[in-house]
Amino acid sequence: MKRVLRVFAATAAAIVLSSSAMAASIAVVGGSNDDAFWNIIKKGLDDATPGIVANGGSVNYLRLVNYDNFAPDVVQLIRTAISMDVDGLVIPDWVSEAEDPAIRDAIAAGIKVLLMNAGGADKARELGAINYVGSDEYVAGVAGGEYFAAHGQKNVLCINTLPGTANIEARCKGVIDGITGKGGKGAQLPLPSTSFGDATAVAEAIKATLLQDATIDGVITISAGDADAAAIGIGQADKVATTMLGTFDMNQAGLDRIKARTQLFAIDQQPYLQGFLATTLLASAIDFGTDLPTFPVLTGPGIVDASNIEATLSGVTKGAR
Amino acid sequence: MNRSFSLGGLLRRPEAGALLGLVAVLIFFSIFGGTSFLKIAGMSSWLNVAATLGVIAIPVGLLMIAGELDISVGAMVPAGAMTVSIISGHLGLPIWLGIATTLGLGVLVGLINGLMVVRTVVPSLIVTLGSLFAVQGMVLGLSVFITKSTSVALKTEGLAKILLGDFVFGQLQVMVIWWLLATAAYVYFIHFSRFGNWVFAMGGDKVSARNAGIPTERLTVTLFVLSSTSAAFVGMCQAILYNSAQVAGGQSFIFNSIISVVVGGVLLTGGFGSVIGIFFGTITFAIVTQGIYYTDFDRNWSSLIIGVLLLLAVLMNNTFRRAALSYAPKHKGAK
Repeated sequence: MKRVLRVFAATAAAIVLSSSAMAASIAVVGGSNDDAFWNIIKKGLDDATPGIVANGGSVNYLRLVNYDNFAPDVVQLIRTAISMDVDGLVIPDWVSEAEDPAIRDAIAAGIKVLLMNAGGADKARELGAINYVGSDEYVAGVAGGEYFAAHGQKNVLCINTLPGTANIEARCKGVIDGITGKGGKGAQLPLPSTSFGDATAVAEAIKATLLQDATIDGVITISAGDADAAAIGIGQADKVATTMLGTFDMNQAGLDRIKARTQLFAIDQQPYLQGFLATTLLASAIDFGTDLPTFPVLTGPGIVDASNIEATLSGVTKGAR
Repeated sequence: MNRSFSLGGLLRRPEAGALLGLVAVLIFFSIFGGTSFLKIAGMSSWLNVAATLGVIAIPVGLLMIAGELDISVGAMVPAGAMTVSIISGHLGLPIWLGIATTLGLGVLVGLINGLMVVRTVVPSLIVTLGSLFAVQGMVLGLSVFITKSTSVALKTEGLAKILLGDFVFGQLQVMVIWWLLATAAYVYFIHFSRFGNWVFAMGGDKVSARNAGIPTERLTVTLFVLSSTSAAFVGMCQAILYNSAQVAGGQSFIFNSIISVVVGGVLLTGGFGSVIGIFFGTITFAIVTQGIYYTDFDRNWSSLIIGVLLLLAVLMNNTFRRAALSYAPKHKGAK
């Protein structure tokens, strides 16, 4: 009888162990509900979830309620995931000073961690995360600069409406390095803070600069809203035919311009892929022990131009772009 | 009114100093900016910026003359842009409905600001700081709730585009015409009607003004309605012009309008100033910020140059005003 019980207990334990090893329960930490960007990421992980569920796992999206108490709230979500006894955690390393101790605790508790969207490859290696899925502003900038060069532009101006902001500076630096690497010329136009958010001031600054330097044949803006202003500025300088417009990020008006061929391209970091790939990679590593040699996994830059505008627009209507 | 022309009298007017500052920066950029700065394209550069800012700066300046402050304009610009874009762009309803709702929202927020200031003893800076955040939050929340996005496209055609968001003579925004019309209307009401005397009296001494029978409460509410509706109007026109609206942005209008008003010779303490002065102050500000792009100065120094030039303009204005006001003409017999 005792022996039967022992066998029974061992079997039960084996079942529990094997099921916990075979079925990944994953927590994903993300930005607030009213942040459009994080809703696109949600679309990505929602699309990945059925495959994970089919293998007996689960996906839980833990979202910040708001950004008022940012770092402590993020740390709290990491602690919540640890106490939920998840097998895997997808986490953006926004505020590394605050988050890193909690992330280390999660790894120490046997949770496989994957960094997404923020943190970068070096941080992932340092912490012992299995990978980083996200974009790199500098790499995106270089792609923009090289795209200009490939389309015949020789002198590109990067409109910086937020001078001094690290990730924006990286964008412009990338653009300049990208175009100069291909034999062209690139420069940055830093706008004073008095013009931030004033579309007319931005448009007129671009117009004036184009009138002063007739050799500028490419303009790239650091946000989709600035591109709306730049389109008018280029038009007012009467340079629509000669000066091409590109931008980081995209909005409906920009996509309409790409369709109408009045804007050359937009650079997207493709948040859908971040949500989809981060969740899938982590579940596969937990469930099947896969190990992706590609490190980091860059989801951007994705370039939207006339060649893929139709598919992009249909992605927008489905909430994936 | 049998006033004969006198140079001293003209120089004592509040706008004389502001004009001097304007001429000074104009000369500065004509020298460093070269000829293209004074060509049509160059002039439209600063006139467009001045017009967009000026439509808001005058009512903000009138509030300051009356001893109040409205910083909620910073939220009303994107609120106006998003309202018309959501109604007429996202929902596809007629543009006139979008315009009417936008202006209605401006009136509503102005009424709330004005009544709060009049009914409570809370300073208008704090009241409008509250409405600044409240309107920002409302716009963000509603935009995401309705459109699932923080940026909405708007396509406008026909009369609304021509009247509100297009260019005239190829380079000038139609806003420049609105700005000139508004300035003319304000000049009439402030300097040639009793409405204007009331505003100055309120800024000088509110209690005495009320005791003298001036409807100070109604006047205050009216001024707040004017400023927030003007800001919503500017945001709306920008959305129509740029075919797009964003939730963020607009905060620069708070500081920029106050700077223009002060450069235009309005005292921060209230009671002194003029519409024409604000008009000149706005142009001065626009020339200083946009003129940089016509010079060869390194763009990294832009903010420094803007700051120094604005300070110089105000200093000139103040020194000149003090000299002009203390200037006493020699008596030449009877007046």
